[in-house]
Amino acid sequence: MAAPDLDLLRGTLDLLILKTLSWGPMHGLAVLRWVEQITGQRLQITEGALYPALHRMEQKGWLGADWGYTERNREAKFYRLTAAGRRQLTAELSKWSRYTEAVNLVITAEAVR
Amino acid sequence: MTKRDDAGLPRLFRLPTAKHRLRGEIERELRFHIEGRIDELVAQGYTRQQAEREVTERFGDVATVRNECEEIDTMTHRKRELGEWRAALARDLRHALRGVVHRPGFSAVVIATLALGIGATTAIYTLLDAVVLRPLAYANAESLVYINHPVPGIETNAQWRMSRAGYFFFRRTSKSLDNIAVYNQSELSLVSPDGAERVRVGRISDNFLDVVGARPLLGRAFVAADNLPNAPPVVIIGYDFWRQRFNADPGIVGRTMNLSSATYQVVGVAPPKLHLPDFQVQLWVPHELDPNAPAVNQHSYDAIARLAPGVSVAAAQAEAARLTAQLPEMFSRAYSPGFMSSSKFSVLVTPLRDIVIGGISRTLWILLGAVAIVLLIACANVANLFLVRAESRRREVALRSALGADRLQLAGHYLAESVLLALIGGVLAVGLAWAAVRFLIVLNPPSIPRLSELALGWRPMMAALALSLGAGVVFGLLPLTRLVASGGDASMLREGGRSQTASRRQLSARSTLVVAQMALAVVLLAAAGLMLRSFQRLRAVHPGLDASGLLTFELSLPWSRYGSRVPGPEGYLTVFRFHQELVRQLAALPGVTTVGMATSLAIKDGDGCALVFVKGRDLTRETAPCVGNILAGPGYFSTLGIPVRGRTPTWADMEEKNGSVVVSKAFADHMWPGEDPIGKELRPNGSGDPWYRVVGVTGDVLTRGLDQPASEIVYYPMIPRDGAPLWQAPTYVTVAIRTRADDPLSLTPAVRRIVSTMDREVPIANAQTMETIVAHSRAKTTFAMLLLAIAGGMALVLSAVGIYGVISYTVSQRRGEIGVRMALGAHAGQVGRMVVGQSLRVAGVGIAIGLAGALATTRVMQSLLFNVSPTDPATLASVTVVLVILGAAAAYAPARRATKVDPVEVLRGD
Repeated sequence: MAAPDLDLLRGTLDLLILKTLSWGPMHGLAVLRWVEQITGQRLQITEGALYPALHRMEQKGWLGADWGYTERNREAKFYRLTAAGRRQLTAELSKWSRYTEAVNLVITAEAVR
Repeated sequence: MTKRDDAGLPRLFRLPTAKHRLRGEIERELRFHIEGRIDELVAQGYTRQQAEREVTERFGDVATVRNECEEIDTMTHRKRELGEWRAALARDLRHALRGVVHRPGFSAVVIATLALGIGATTAIYTLLDAVVLRPLAYANAESLVYINHPVPGIETNAQWRMSRAGYFFFRRTSKSLDNIAVYNQSELSLVSPDGAERVRVGRISDNFLDVVGARPLLGRAFVAADNLPNAPPVVIIGYDFWRQRFNADPGIVGRTMNLSSATYQVVGVAPPKLHLPDFQVQLWVPHELDPNAPAVNQHSYDAIARLAPGVSVAAAQAEAARLTAQLPEMFSRAYSPGFMSSSKFSVLVTPLRDIVIGGISRTLWILLGAVAIVLLIACANVANLFLVRAESRRREVALRSALGADRLQLAGHYLAESVLLALIGGVLAVGLAWAAVRFLIVLNPPSIPRLSELALGWRPMMAALALSLGAGVVFGLLPLTRLVASGGDASMLREGGRSQTASRRQLSARSTLVVAQMALAVVLLAAAGLMLRSFQRLRAVHPGLDASGLLTFELSLPWSRYGSRVPGPEGYLTVFRFHQELVRQLAALPGVTTVGMATSLAIKDGDGCALVFVKGRDLTRETAPCVGNILAGPGYFSTLGIPVRGRTPTWADMEEKNGSVVVSKAFADHMWPGEDPIGKELRPNGSGDPWYRVVGVTGDVLTRGLDQPASEIVYYPMIPRDGAPLWQAPTYVTVAIRTRADDPLSLTPAVRRIVSTMDREVPIANAQTMETIVAHSRAKTTFAMLLLAIAGGMALVLSAVGIYGVISYTVSQRRGEIGVRMALGAHAGQVGRMVVGQSLRVAGVGIAIGLAGALATTRVMQSLLFNVSPTDPATLASVTVVLVILGAAAAYAPARRATKVDPVEVLRGD
């Protein structure tokens, strides 16, 4: 198992989870796999951060949770995006793009005279 | 993905296991994750062991994650529960409000019934709380006692107050009493440049403040020297009077004031709320109490004492009895052994509280009992209404429980409605109680002490709301017990499905309620009826005088100028001339027919008495009768309308001091039974005095109250015969004016003008009509009668509604049966009789139980009644008749409805 080369930026975990779950209900392990797969292992989420985050978002009402069975017939807790979660995702996305734009502006700026 | 079903557990039992469940779920979730990871690595070629190590290493401490998640989930769970609960509450309330609004008739009846019942109870409870339950306004009032002397040998129930010698003796020797003080209610004239006015005065011994545990706010308390004869006059100003009259002037101590034409120095200001027991004091002055004066058998002082720590009233009583038995050896002249045995002179130590709230305590408890009965009847009605509602909602309940509502949800649903209704009723009840208390204060019944302390406090208010809340819960649950029991009964859902047995049970429950109602109503009406009869009897009592068109007022001439400390001829003459002139001027007022005056209108308990020796009788100080004495002026009897046989002394008789005297019929009958008292001779006090000759006999006047026997009275002239040491000059008199004016009180300003022209330092006090005085004598009976009559009326109406409701309901239930009967040839009359008969049966059972209850309970009213037995058959018979009529009348409308049943329609309908 290769070590990840990027540390997760503060505040982006929620966004990653929300976006990931926007594709459909998943259990925690699936969320983890999905992020690793998409980023080619460059971005790794630790379990110690993922599960509290999932439970906290459930409390906030962004995620719903139901127990169900995987294809291999194992019992797992599936998280899904609620309407509030969808709204939150939109808000986080626009926040993220404004943030990156601003950061980009700074780091790509030519010296100003 | 399939839903996991955990609804199998009843909601009620889920809560305690929530934590356990949450932990399990987290555990499962994390285990799934770890196992998934391991499987993944094993698939990639790791050995199981390697895979496990790798995963564990990456995951970190599982316990930390688990705990963190558990904390979050617990919070989530709590929030969710709260949310659900709130939503359920809001839903139930919304539903309840809708119910209340959609059934205005039902709601209004429930609210009004509860408001009346609870409001009346709250009002009386407030009264009881203020007058009886709250401790007296003294520090540690429970250890204060009142001491007096029963003298059953002189008159049954007569109680003399403390004597001066007795007071000093007790104060010196008693060990069970911490301290003993004496006091009297009194009045003085406060003379200021604006004129003179009467002020209420407390005359006290130096230690009074010590005994009641008070300390002056400013200045000093009285000291023993202030009580000595010829001590310079000093005064302590009452707190309220100080604030109102002297603007709370802090420099008041040391100033002087003119009281009844004598100069008093202000030595202090009393603390707030300090008064005599049941007498609002404006000024405090020292009593004249000479410890060295010879003992006299004169009992004119109220005595208040504080028990020593740990001493019971009984122990104090035992010691006081021992001390009283020593009086003859201590003061052989005043308390001869003969006097002690003939008068059965004894002592009584009573908690002060019992003296102050005395008889009224029982009256108020009885009234509270009465309104509580009204409340019970009201609750029975409301319970009945809810039972009917429940009946009509059986299908709804069945439907709800078929749709999955559990018992708790059902309970919440129905409780919301009943509690809402009850609370609205409770709030209205508080308003009603407030109004009733205001009304009582305005009414100011003279028979109730401590009324100045009356206000609707938070305690009764909370009690009212708690009561309504409790009622709401009971009414909500009452029908539910039955409904839930049959809640799962799916047969209810079938069209027309109606369980006959359940209805029967319902009906018997409702009939039981009505029987209870009737029984309670009988008890209450019997009580009200007994009071009414007492009131009638009391009204029928002739007071012995003609009260209409009479104005009375009191007048007190300052001793310093009119009297003299040792009564002598000059003192009498000055007073006599003033009175003579006053009567002359008052009689000249337009509309005035006659004017009379006397030292007192009434002989009250504790006023003491004077010995009378009758010529030709071998009477000693021990055997001579002790009777009330009044100094009466000419015109007194004719003005008051007291019939006189013989004649009454004139001004000339009095000036000549020819010893003409008038006696009351009661005295004459006692002393000279079967003889003509006119021409007989008598003399007051001892031997050697000049004799008085009886010139007239007056009718008896019920001066001690209409419910008391007439006193024996000797009416002496205003000036005593030479050599007769007859008390003091009559500086304090009550004047009666008979007028043709519609309102005798309208004369008051003219009277005041005349008196102040004659002496501007003499005010008049207590101007009132004789009718008011007589009414006061009936006040306690009137008050209890009025409130019991109101309670009885309410009980009657509520019971009528109750029995009507049940009979009406039965008729609607038995429509089918009635239809069949009529189809089989029953007459309308027979059907009507059947319905009325049923009503009478229910009423009859109730009345029978109620009569038994009344016989058992009206005994507690004995002291309130006048010339009526608590089991007066006439009263009980009338109550029975009234309720039988009520039972028949309540069934009239339902019976008519029953006779209108169309058998064809009913039979087809079924």
